[in-house]
Formats: sequence, C-alpha cells, structure tokens
Amino acid sequence: MTVDSSIMISFSTASKEYDNQTALRDITFMVEKGEMVFITGPSGSGKTTLLKLIYSAERPDSGHISVAGWDINNLKESTIPLLRRHIGVVFQDFRLLANRNIFDNVAMALRIRGAAEREIKTKVYESLKSVGLRHKSDSYPRNLSGGEQQRVVIARATVAEPNLLLADEPTGNLDADTAEGVMRIFKNINAKGTTIMIATHNKELYRNTGKKVIRLDSGNLVDVGKG
Amino acid sequence: MAPYAFRLALQSLIREKWINLLSILTIASGLLVISVTLFAAYNIDAATRRLPEKFSMILYLEDNTPQDRLESIMTALRKKRAVSSVRFISKDEAIKELRGLLKNSNYVFEGLDENPLPDSIEVKLKKEAVTAEAVKKISEEAQTIKGIKEVDYGEKFLAAIHSVRSGVTTIGIVLIAIISAGIIFVCYSTVKILFYRRSDEIETFKLLGATKTFIRLPFLIEGGIIGASGGLATLLGVMMFYYIVIARLSAAIPLLSTLLFPRTVFLSLPLIGLFLGITGAAIAIGRLRY
Ligand SMILES: Nc1ncnc2c1ncn2[C@@H]1O[C@H](COP(=O)(O)OP(=O)(O)OP(=O)(O)O)[C@@H](O)[C@H]1O
Ligand SMILES: [Mg+2]
Repeated sequence: MTVDSSIMISFSTASKEYDNQTALRDITFMVEKGEMVFITGPSGSGKTTLLKLIYSAERPDSGHISVAGWDINNLKESTIPLLRRHIGVVFQDFRLLANRNIFDNVAMALRIRGAAEREIKTKVYESLKSVGLRHKSDSYPRNLSGGEQQRVVIARATVAEPNLLLADEPTGNLDADTAEGVMRIFKNINAKGTTIMIATHNKELYRNTGKKVIRLDSGNLVDVGKG
Repeated sequence: MAPYAFRLALQSLIREKWINLLSILTIASGLLVISVTLFAAYNIDAATRRLPEKFSMILYLEDNTPQDRLESIMTALRKKRAVSSVRFISKDEAIKELRGLLKNSNYVFEGLDENPLPDSIEVKLKKEAVTAEAVKKISEEAQTIKGIKEVDYGEKFLAAIHSVRSGVTTIGIVLIAIISAGIIFVCYSTVKILFYRRSDEIETFKLLGATKTFIRLPFLIEGGIIGASGGLATLLGVMMFYYIVIARLSAAIPLLSTLLFPRTVFLSLPLIGLFLGITGAAIAIGRLRY
C-alpha cells in the first residue's frame, strides 16, 4: 500500500518473466500524481510489459507494485475492473472491435462504466473531434488508415477522463505533424491533472520537454533522466 | 448496464441468426416431446384417478343370517371411517341384476330352480381410501365379522391401476429429466460457440475495465431468449394441435373429447425454456478470469 497519497505509481524491485525469460528485472521507480513520464528503450526492452503490469494484464513475479493506492500484487479479481476504470490505455496493438463502428468503439469505454446513453453521445463526439475524426464516427476500423485507427484508440482511452493514461507507442503510425497534434492533446489532458505515461521510441516526443524519462534496455532500468 | 446488455444480446441474436434459429427449433422439439409426455401422463393419471370412485366391495353373507345380525353388521360397517355407503343386496335382487346383465344369454339360468346366489352387502369406500393396502385391511377386518362368509374386492384390479400409475410417472420423470438435460446442453453449446466467436471482443472488454456481470449478462440474456423462444414455439405448436386437430377430430371420435388439457403446465413452457436456457448459458460461460 502506498502511504504517500501524492504517488500514482510505485515499482520496487519488480520483475517479470515470460516462460523463464526475463522481460523486466528489479525495476524501481515512482510516478507522482499529475506527472507526465516517458518510457523509452529499444524494441523488446520491456516497455509494453511495464505498462501491462500497471493495468494488471500481467502480474509481477517478484517485487512490489502499487497503482493509485492499490496493491497490485494482492489485487482481488473483482477489483481489477475498478483499477482499469481509473486507467485509460492506448494499446500498442490498438484492440479496436472490428465489427463495431468508430462511435461504438469509443463509446465502449463509457458503456463499460455504465454511463447514460445521452452522456455517451456528447462525450464520444467531443472526444472524436479532439482527435480530428468526428466525421468518421460511422466508419468501421478496417476502413481507416493506421494513423486514424491510432487516434480512435486515443479517443477511447481519454473519453472517460481517467486519472491515469498509459500510451504505448501512441505516435508509431503518425506523421510528425499529426504526432505533434496528439502530443498537444496529451499535454491538455495532463494540464487538467491526469497522470500520463508514454512508451515510445520517438526521441522527438520528449526532447526538451523537461519531463521524466525512464530508459529500459533488455529488461533493465538503465536510468531515469530528463527529456 | 442492463439495457445495454439487452442490446448486446439482441445484436448477437441477429448477427448469429442461423445458429440461434437452429437451437430454438431443437429446443422446441425437445420441449414438444416433454409436452406429449406430460399430456399422456396427465390423462392416464386423471383416468385412473376416476376409476376407484366406481370401486365397491362385496361381502357375501352366510345363508339364513337373522335380520338383527344383519342390522348390526351394517351399523358396524357404517361406523368405519373409510366407508361412504353400505347397501344390502338380497339374493333375489342379485339374481335379477344378473339376469339383466345376461339377458342375451338366458340359457345360463335354465334348469335352475333354486337361486344359487347368497345375500350380500355392497360397501362403497370413500375416494381417498381406495388404495390397495387400505382396501385389503378393511376386507380382512370384515372377514372376522361373524356372519360374513366371503369378501370380494378387486385386489388385482387396484394393484394393476397402481402399477400403471407409478409406471407412467417413472417413465415420464426419466424422459423429462433426459430431455431437459438435452435442452440445457443445446443452450450450453450455442452460447459456448457465441462466446468463443466473441472471445477477442471479451478480452478487450476486460482490458477496458468491464466487470464480470457486464460480460456475462448479454450471454445469459441470449441463452434465456433462445430457451424462452423454444418454449413459446412449443406452446404455439401444442395449442394449435389441441385446438385444431383434437377439437375437430373429437366430433368424429368422441373419446378424444374426454382428453384433458393441462393448460397451466403448457402455459409455463416459455418459462421452463427460459430457465433451461439461462442454466445452459451459465454453464457455458463458466468462470471468467482476469
Ligand atoms: N506474452 C509474451 N510471452 C512471451 N514473451 C513475451 C510476451 N510478451 C513479451 N514478451 C517478450 O518480453 C520482452 C519484452 O517485450 P515488450 O513487449 O515488453 O517489449 P517492448 O519494449 O514493448 O518492445 P516494442 O518496442 O517492440 O513494443 C520481449 O523479449 C518479448 O519477446
Ligand atoms: Mg511494446
């Protein structure tokens, strides 16, 4: 349990193995509420795994993790949905629902929380507008470009105004201008108090931001620096 | 959450209409067999239940029993709790009745100058008392009364009715149990298929923070709707069969009009289907893991 209520995420010597192969080793760091933090490192260094540990899609093999006051190591199954409702995730593999249109894909984040249909309508259109895809609400994911799909995922992750936003390679499919637009959205959300963690290869995203940058290499935390 | 779960269930029902229609029809055929079984059992039960009302016991008296002895026997019999009526049949009345019954074969009585029949007492029992054991007990008691020569009661007849009834009940219960299990299995398989087809979507729901209820409810609703639709289809079929076929045919075959229609049982078919459908779906979803 995190005693300090200003801490959003804390890892202490957390490790994760997949089939006896270490993906993360003895990771220790903290993220304060309201911070914007970057995780970087080469492909396969463990960025996605680190994010999965936070939203409890994977469990640590050793060490200790707490998120928003929840003890992730000893989370009951019935509490996992509650944890995840505090977190918006931009999945690296998008996870859009192929047989639902863009509106319904974004709306799902709210429906799962039991929101009223009228509220859903306003919020989803607003969110789609913020990523410049208001006009695509009736389209299906397969008819969107990679970058457009990525922005739909961002809309879905932010529509419910989570306390914590985890973005896994959110600009991987975007050109520089659109990427800049997405970063602007993140900065706006962050300015309203949402804690944000962004995993990325793209140095441009954090260069000269002065934000915390966590560097991973082959599952080890190399250093925690400033962008 | 509940309205949205209904929407998801309806979407899936429409999207997978062929699978769903097929299982609805399968369930309906199963429920039809159950209905026919119930119909048969109900009618056999009703028919055999009415038989004992006509049941009576005959006590044959010794020859030349004095009048006062006869009176005391009759009072003793009337006092018994299971007895509903007691009637004296003199040997003359008895032969008259017999002659009436056999009036086409009068030769039987030719050459009889003396009435061979004894005086007797007919004892009718209360409906609820007519069981093989109770009747046996009463007849044994009667046999000990002085002046009574012999007791005749339909022991074999009663035992036969009893075994027919318990036989029909047993077969009915076994058949209904097997078919109910079959219907649950049909719902189980259908929902299992739908669940697997949507496993990707369910995984995403979980990652977005959906509770188990949010994931489960649409499948339970879908299973329930499939089961209830099967029940409704059966109900329509049974009603059509009864009101059109039986009602028309009973003009030609009067026996059919004596058949009874257990209306409340048949009206509950959609409910039975609903219950079986939800049960099958619940087993199919099983335990969700995060
Ligand atoms: N489900 C899994 N089963 C087995 N091994 C896995 C699994 N997921 C990841 N790994 C392995 O764990 C290591 C870290 O993977 P991870 O996805 O966290 O890397 P990443 O930093 O996100 O890489 P990328 O930049 O390519 O997305 C890799 O070696 C990967 O092969
Ligand atoms: Mg990754």
